[in-house]
Amino acid sequence: MRGHESVHARHKVSRIWLSLTLALLILAGAQQALCWSLKEAAEPYRGVTIRTIGEALPPLEALDKLKDKFTKETGIEVIIEQYAHEEAVDKVMLDLNSRTGRYDFIIQPHRELGRFVENNHVVPITQFVENPKLKDPNFHPEKELYTNLWKEISWYKGKPYGYPFTAITMFLWYRQDMVNDPKEKEGFKAKYGYELKEPEDWQQYHDMAEWFTRPDKGFFGTAIQGKRHVALWYEWLNFLYSFGGDVFETSKGYEYGPIIVNSPEAVESLDYYKGLIKYSPSDTLNYDWDGVMAAMQQARIFECIMWNDATYAVEDPKQSTVAGKMGFGMVPQGKGGKVGQVEGWSYLIPTGSKQKEAAFLFMQWALQYDQQLFQQLNGGASPRPDVYANPEVQKLAYTKAALQTMEVAKPKATFPESPQVTDILVLALSDALSGQKTSKESLDWAAVEIHKLLGDRAPMKYPVK
Amino acid sequence: MITGWRRILLDKGVGPLFLTPSLILLLALLVGPFVYMVVVSFTDLSFAIPNHTGNFVGFDNYRKLMRDDPLFWDSFWTTIRFVTAALSIEFLIGLSLALLLFHSIERHRIILTLILLPMMLAPVAVGLMWKLLLQGEFGMLTHYLREVGIFGAQTAPLSSYTLVLPTMILIDVWEWTPFVTLVLLAGLLSLPREPYEAAIIDGAGPIRVFFDVTLPLLRPIIALVLLLRGIDAFKEFDKVWILTGGGPGSATELLSIYTWRINFRNWDFGYGAVVALMVYLVVLILCSLFYKAMNLQQGGAK
Repeated sequence: MRGHESVHARHKVSRIWLSLTLALLILAGAQQALCWSLKEAAEPYRGVTIRTIGEALPPLEALDKLKDKFTKETGIEVIIEQYAHEEAVDKVMLDLNSRTGRYDFIIQPHRELGRFVENNHVVPITQFVENPKLKDPNFHPEKELYTNLWKEISWYKGKPYGYPFTAITMFLWYRQDMVNDPKEKEGFKAKYGYELKEPEDWQQYHDMAEWFTRPDKGFFGTAIQGKRHVALWYEWLNFLYSFGGDVFETSKGYEYGPIIVNSPEAVESLDYYKGLIKYSPSDTLNYDWDGVMAAMQQARIFECIMWNDATYAVEDPKQSTVAGKMGFGMVPQGKGGKVGQVEGWSYLIPTGSKQKEAAFLFMQWALQYDQQLFQQLNGGASPRPDVYANPEVQKLAYTKAALQTMEVAKPKATFPESPQVTDILVLALSDALSGQKTSKESLDWAAVEIHKLLGDRAPMKYPVK
Repeated sequence: MITGWRRILLDKGVGPLFLTPSLILLLALLVGPFVYMVVVSFTDLSFAIPNHTGNFVGFDNYRKLMRDDPLFWDSFWTTIRFVTAALSIEFLIGLSLALLLFHSIERHRIILTLILLPMMLAPVAVGLMWKLLLQGEFGMLTHYLREVGIFGAQTAPLSSYTLVLPTMILIDVWEWTPFVTLVLLAGLLSLPREPYEAAIIDGAGPIRVFFDVTLPLLRPIIALVLLLRGIDAFKEFDKVWILTGGGPGSATELLSIYTWRINFRNWDFGYGAVVALMVYLVVLILCSLFYKAMNLQQGGAK
């Protein structure tokens, strides 16, 4: 009996020790969380200047407005260089290869990630995350960011190389005021036999493009980003995925796999896409995203597929004649279901960076809720889901569409040759749109060229005779 | 007259030493990079693909260019069409304008100043200006061309596969004809009077004088202006890049754009060096032909 009591007592003591240890650990963690401050962490870097580069769009413009707040708190000066999409990418490639270390951190699209990692141009952020002097214990990216997005756009082969700067997808823009117009509703129903409303599938999208095309009034149903430019590839991917196609049969961006870009679904999607030219302004084959956005801002088109980080500009009354008249929704549904394409720019730290730690502190700070909220309200596309729950953000007309698309957005290739694959596809698509080749000929050509580039790592699932 | 120690230095053959700084600059800025380009053309150097660090690949890049790159040859022939058409039109209009101005230069100095304006603009500005003029919906020129029935209601020159290259040629003609005019006019003004007087005494009419006196005397100047413009047109990049990006399809992908794409889009410097060498070779052949034409003429004059 005494023996039993003794065991019981020992267990009790063990439990007390365990509880005490746990309490101490929690206290230590809490103390660390309470004790860590950005100001103290940044003290060794006070007075240094860090420089970054990214695409000149509202999210980066918003960050530029925020940077002084960081400087005030840390004494670290921040210089943000803003360029057009392709220029921002080219400048970074030159800097990374010449190893001049001009940029202490870079903001780049995720299709470039493989090139950077495989050529040792960027460093994993693990070394900073594991440094208690640098890591903000209150920041939990795995919980606070869209985890899938983060792992897709800032991780490569299981290692984190940065944090997402934006979570951008493309979705449907349309003129809600026209959809709600009783005369339009009546006429549309008489012709097509169903209610005029937000287009939910490609047939409806086509019908509405046709219905609203009125060239005599300088108004068109839609506009496509048909210029030989990377915008063309991005836009078509929405059609491709939605029609049930893809470029490669892989599940991860860094994986090589069978080429399926010339599948029947892909050809069908390109045929459909090409068919929209007749409902677009005459210069649509010379439009990139800026051209289509301007057409919408000037109230010259009814609907288009556009980026969410451009939405701010169409809802800003100073820049747009259709502010407050717009509706936003998911990319129309096809055989591939409701999908979108995810793209995102990431904060990355180059190997040649001279101020890696200060850059990490800035990245971490920029992802805090307050900064993200400011960015979101000024045209950002935050990678933090909690920002979208803010009542002010909820009021934005495009928040719902952005959130819905994020849930179903598909990743794309990030291996080192992926920008070359993009270049091949841009030419193939441009050839098809300009009428030089049929959709099938163009995509067959692209499949062969991609296979030549990647060799046995990417066999052709649909061989070309 | 050089005297004293300077004379002694020159006598001892130190003269060439004074050329050394220029020679070093020439080697460092021209010969060095060219040799490096040739060396790179035999490698797989790429900024994009891992492990392509400049390994020797023999003639692989050259073989690819000759046998397995139809895009290069498409681009090559597009460039030839662009250069030939632009140069011919610029020469014909330039010569006509130069002759017109030559006979009334005193009265038309203001006109001469005005027609020189396009060539004073930066190529990027020219590209942006024409992009606005030719915009499909609100471009002023497109609007008037539609009004007079030259363009259809839905014709947009920068989006049309058939119209886009002729449009690029016409823009180049607009920009560079004044240069051709200026050089030819300078040539006309420098011609000696005696052969004209002799021809008129012999009873030659204006057409005979033009073909038998003016043109032969002007030939070195014509060769020079065609050479300069030919090289320049072959390198055309800015305007076309801004206006079309090489599209639609590959309708305006000139060699310079193709070379840029290989080198700075794909970062494939090994293959890019071969493409650049080919462009260099074509320009070199062009130069030799024109120099030969000039020398032949000078030989004939003797």
